[in-house]
Amino acid sequence: MKLYQLVFKDILRRKKRVLYAALGIVIAAMTVVGILTIATAGQAKIYAQLEKYGANLSVVPAISNVDMTLGDLSLGALTVGENYIPEAKLPEIRQIADGEIREALGIKDDVDIATIAPKLYVNTKVKGTSLLVVGVEPKEERTIKTWWKIQEGKYLEERDQALLGAQTAQLLKLNIGDRISFNGSDATVAGILEETGSSDDYQVFVPIQTLQTAFGKEGVVSSIDIRALCNACPVEIIADSINQNITGVRALAVKQVAETEMGMMEKMNKFMLALAGITLVIGAFGVVNTMMTSVHERIKDIGIMRAVGASRRQIIKAFTYEAVIIGIVGGIFGYMAGTLVAYGVGPLVFEGTDVSYIPQYLPLSLLLAIFVAVVSTAYPAFRATTIKVSDSFRSL
Amino acid sequence: MLEVKNASKVYGEGDTKVVALNNVSLQVNKGDFIAVMGPSGSGKSTLLNVIGGLDRLSGGEVVLDGKRLDNLDENALVEIRRGKIAYVFQQYHLLPSLTAIENVFLPLLFCGANRESLDKAMGILKVVGLEKRAKHKPSQLSGGEQQRVAIARAIVNNPSLILADEPTGNMDQKTGAEILSLFDQLNTQGRGIIMVTHSPEVAKHAREIVFLKDGQIVDRVEQKGRI
Repeated sequence: MKLYQLVFKDILRRKKRVLYAALGIVIAAMTVVGILTIATAGQAKIYAQLEKYGANLSVVPAISNVDMTLGDLSLGALTVGENYIPEAKLPEIRQIADGEIREALGIKDDVDIATIAPKLYVNTKVKGTSLLVVGVEPKEERTIKTWWKIQEGKYLEERDQALLGAQTAQLLKLNIGDRISFNGSDATVAGILEETGSSDDYQVFVPIQTLQTAFGKEGVVSSIDIRALCNACPVEIIADSINQNITGVRALAVKQVAETEMGMMEKMNKFMLALAGITLVIGAFGVVNTMMTSVHERIKDIGIMRAVGASRRQIIKAFTYEAVIIGIVGGIFGYMAGTLVAYGVGPLVFEGTDVSYIPQYLPLSLLLAIFVAVVSTAYPAFRATTIKVSDSFRSL
Repeated sequence: MLEVKNASKVYGEGDTKVVALNNVSLQVNKGDFIAVMGPSGSGKSTLLNVIGGLDRLSGGEVVLDGKRLDNLDENALVEIRRGKIAYVFQQYHLLPSLTAIENVFLPLLFCGANRESLDKAMGILKVVGLEKRAKHKPSQLSGGEQQRVAIARAIVNNPSLILADEPTGNMDQKTGAEILSLFDQLNTQGRGIIMVTHSPEVAKHAREIVFLKDGQIVDRVEQKGRI
């Protein structure tokens, strides 16, 4: 029989006391694992959202203002340049955007990556009210406007259908199936959008070809939205490349949304880590306390062991073995409890988040638990070996 | 074998100063059986503790086999406790969560147990007549049985000197007599015994009785015709 075997037997006989000592560790490990698991789930959710709102670009016609002067007299500014982008430039733009993304992410496939959504804006009168009619590619627009929800009816399917912003429908008192006309063309109201809080609420959306035909704008678009659908996509590089290689257009990287969300997530991450850190420290104190007490209660036992020939090292060894076992028990139960807590609390913190257990946190939990248990045991055990044996009999 | 020279032990300082041992000298030869008697507070237990290195001296020397042990550090004392000096206490001081056999085995474990160690522990348990109670924990044993386990533990490493602090103090006369006959046996095997007691009956087993009072030796009685 070896010392560790004896310690193990001894622990099995003192199950209750050992479990009590492990309880502090269970709680500490539970809290840390719980918080980290919830934070990871939250991160995953935010990442998923970021992917949707991800980095994007907007391509508009290149327009420049020229100051008009006559001698010393300023006559104001004149806008020069085309108001439209020829549709013929779309393949070029796609080539640049996909090419840059492929290079940045190391993708070899030759499939389309970015969503490219051209738009045509026309200001016209519908039922006597002046409003903006937007021609869109239904499929692409839907991919980009992930936040669009249909309040009534359905999304654009046919060329002679129209989709109304929430406010437009209300102001013009239009319902599903009503017909509207603009510049001599007709369309049936197929669906009404839920309120978005953006200018979309005041617009009418129709398939882009319908609008182009109605207003004689065949082959041109007003602007192009490019959504890369990834966070690592090099939007700035794409924008620069488009600006350098394609004349008559100006590409802008729209990163603000992504950057704000990223910043928020970073803050939240820091907060979660700080929370986990504080919990760990508080938990560690609790563990140190219970472990110290349990060692203190056994000062007499330590005295007995010394009286029958145990060296300091052997006593510290025995208590370290015990601490390792307590740490393993506490770490495993703490991991399980923390994961359960995350499953219970996670969905409340991040609405509708799917929490999943994270196996990597088990070794983390174990290491943490064993470390804290050993440190908080070895020190009081060492202290106990420095008092005189005769005094240790007198204690308690 | 063991010599105590002018040993003194003082607890506390100033007004709370207590002199537990005052210039005590004592010689223990191989195979001696010495009983230390005296009223409570006379310094009996303190004497035993300083001899075995469980407590520190304030002055004087303790010499074991020609070497001082009163100034040894903890590591050197460990060597003394592993085979030269062993203790038997009034309160038995068994580890409560270990069985009888494990308690006896413990000293062997600390100085490097091997395959035969458990058998050896069992053999010693047989000597004290407890082989059938080997798997019992101290709480399942009577006082006399616990003390026999403690004696087995004390002799398992074959010490030359056994220090016993009122080993029969918690027992009725019959049980006490059984324990004392064990000590007599150990003594006839040539082991030195120093036993603290305040029972004259118990002291009768010793070859020499040393009377302590206020930390000083006040009388010594040799018993030639001991029991």
